[in-house]
Amino acid sequence: MAIILQLLFTGLGIGAVYALVALGFVLIYRATNVVNFAQGQFAMLGGYCMVITTVDLGLPYWLGILITLVVMAGFGAIFNLGVYYPLRHRSFLPVVISTIGASILITNLVLGLYGPEPTTLPGVIDFPGVSLGAVFLDSQYLVIIAVTLILVLLQYFFFEHTLVGKKMQAVSQDKEVASLLGINVTGMIMLTFAYSAVLGGIAGVLVAPILFVSVGLGAQIALKAFAASIIGGFGDVPGAIAGGLIIGVAETLGAFYISVPYKDAFAFILLFAFLLIRPQGIFGEKVSQKA
Amino acid sequence: MTTPESAMSRTLHAQPQSGMVSAAAAMFWPRARCWRAALGHGAAALLACALLAGPERAVTADTAPIIIGMVTPLTGPAAESGRYAEWGAEMAVSEVNAAGGVMGRMLKLVIEDDQTTNPGVVSAFNRLANDPAIVAFLGSIRSTQVHAMDPDVRRVGKPVFFGGTDPNLTHAGDPWLFRCRPNDTYSAKVIAAFGVETLGLKKWALVTSTDAFGSSGARLLSAELQSLGASVVTAQGYANQTPDFTPVVLAVKGSGADVIGSYFTFEQDLAIFARQLRQLGVRSAWVGSPSITDTAALHLAGPALFGTYGVADFNADSSPEARRFADAYQKLHKIPVDQFAAWTYDAINLAALAIGNAKSTDPQGMRAAILAIRGYKGTEGVYDFDANGDGLHGYNVVQNKNGKIEFVKRVDFPAP
Repeated sequence: MAIILQLLFTGLGIGAVYALVALGFVLIYRATNVVNFAQGQFAMLGGYCMVITTVDLGLPYWLGILITLVVMAGFGAIFNLGVYYPLRHRSFLPVVISTIGASILITNLVLGLYGPEPTTLPGVIDFPGVSLGAVFLDSQYLVIIAVTLILVLLQYFFFEHTLVGKKMQAVSQDKEVASLLGINVTGMIMLTFAYSAVLGGIAGVLVAPILFVSVGLGAQIALKAFAASIIGGFGDVPGAIAGGLIIGVAETLGAFYISVPYKDAFAFILLFAFLLIRPQGIFGEKVSQKA
Repeated sequence: MTTPESAMSRTLHAQPQSGMVSAAAAMFWPRARCWRAALGHGAAALLACALLAGPERAVTADTAPIIIGMVTPLTGPAAESGRYAEWGAEMAVSEVNAAGGVMGRMLKLVIEDDQTTNPGVVSAFNRLANDPAIVAFLGSIRSTQVHAMDPDVRRVGKPVFFGGTDPNLTHAGDPWLFRCRPNDTYSAKVIAAFGVETLGLKKWALVTSTDAFGSSGARLLSAELQSLGASVVTAQGYANQTPDFTPVVLAVKGSGADVIGSYFTFEQDLAIFARQLRQLGVRSAWVGSPSITDTAALHLAGPALFGTYGVADFNADSSPEARRFADAYQKLHKIPVDQFAAWTYDAINLAALAIGNAKSTDPQGMRAAILAIRGYKGTEGVYDFDANGDGLHGYNVVQNKNGKIEFVKRVDFPAP
């Protein structure tokens, strides 16, 4: 029993990181109808921001987080202006390719500026974790799960109970009607990119003490997060959360009970199964066409 | 992933030649090389080159630099170790050139980025191999990459020094591969003998990468343990770049093993495993392959590796040659040296020795000279090349004492 609980805890922890990055995928998809393949690089940038502010500059952790969030919001806005906005009237494919190009550019810029060496980032809490019987709860995983829960609640409140959140939802549902209602569509999309970059940055900050900070950090998470968003139902916010947690738990349990070397395969077997049996994902609605 | 840096090769002239000599030497090879050299050395050289240019006036190659090609990861997950490898090779080139070069000619190093991938290393090697002026190569420290290069190495037919430790690499009939680190037959022998006979531990858990290096290590270590009467209670293979080792750690914990034997390819994986191992309360002894002693692993894993043992092909206290190199490297680069720099340092020196002994850069002559090397005291140990191309036949056992790697003993086996 202790083993299952330990695996569940770790799976939920790593799954929460996938969920945060998947949320970024989903929000941008809803607002723009394109997939942002640089979402993983947002996580990597968040990790580097924290290293620069707290390790290199020696600033307090809370200040490092604050600066990282501001920098990531600004970066999201710039990303929107440079990568999405010029191509907003083009079809799906050019924009997607543009985001892939941007992800390569970001990775190589960081590589050029900061070098290839992986580096360490201390955790938010300065103790390794707590033991509950035979189950060890890593403090960083506890923080990850808690932050994800808080963010989901905040996001729900923001989208359902604030005017800006409702405007963003309106834009994601129908840009033309939103525009006719006087909503600044361009501004709302800008805000969505900024928020998605912040989410990615938070994921990077949270996972960096466990996986270390390197240019490969984003790619390591992004592919699973993308699978999570499809499993949950692409474009669905609760689905992204559920998809992330399901993949995290499935790969951890699968690795222990079936095969460690095929750990990464379990996420994609799940993805394949969903695409085959329920392509709309867990929470997605089936789209049917009239004859 | 390609960077501006990775897209171009980097060259090193440790002791640039000057004036007429340089220009005339550069002329021997294609005109473009002549112009590049001339431009680099100023207007006087350019004038000399122009005056002497022309096939009928081609001078001998006696003063042209001897070019050695090197593939190493400058980008990708192994980029940090690739930089150390580059530094080690550059130090050797500088020292050889400072001592007058080889046969009166300077050494020149040309580097290509292998991007830490198999396609990357094949592409990098072929880019170098297209230059007929390159007389020998430094290959990868990763066995899986050397396997990928192997068909091209056979086709090119020039000596390739490498650091991968999969024994099969020198036993598959490629006459051009020369290993500058002891192969895993020896690491497995030393890990098993030290754990079983010195530490007295007989219940082993094996944690190994599923790539060529890790799989080979797992197989050899299992066989050695079996021959010593020890048992493998669990064998866990993992895929490289794994973000979470909880399932592996729980399997080790549940197996009741009293010692862990490991073959990790990447330091990040090793550090994540080490931290989770200690967090989940596993206090077994641990004897690992050389990556457990890497500078990067020590930095990333910190206290989680305290008390562990490792076999290390390089240790600064294992010989006077190793100590001298370690001190010089520390002085130059301000960080402790590890095996990534040591094997490339030795490889350049061995190449220079072989060319000097053969008095030629003819591939067959160099090959015979390399295989004839006996008793050469390198930083990694004493080189006695066997017929397969293996230069070293032993390992150092070291221990991580509060983050510092300390020499325990040297174990050498006679060359077959």
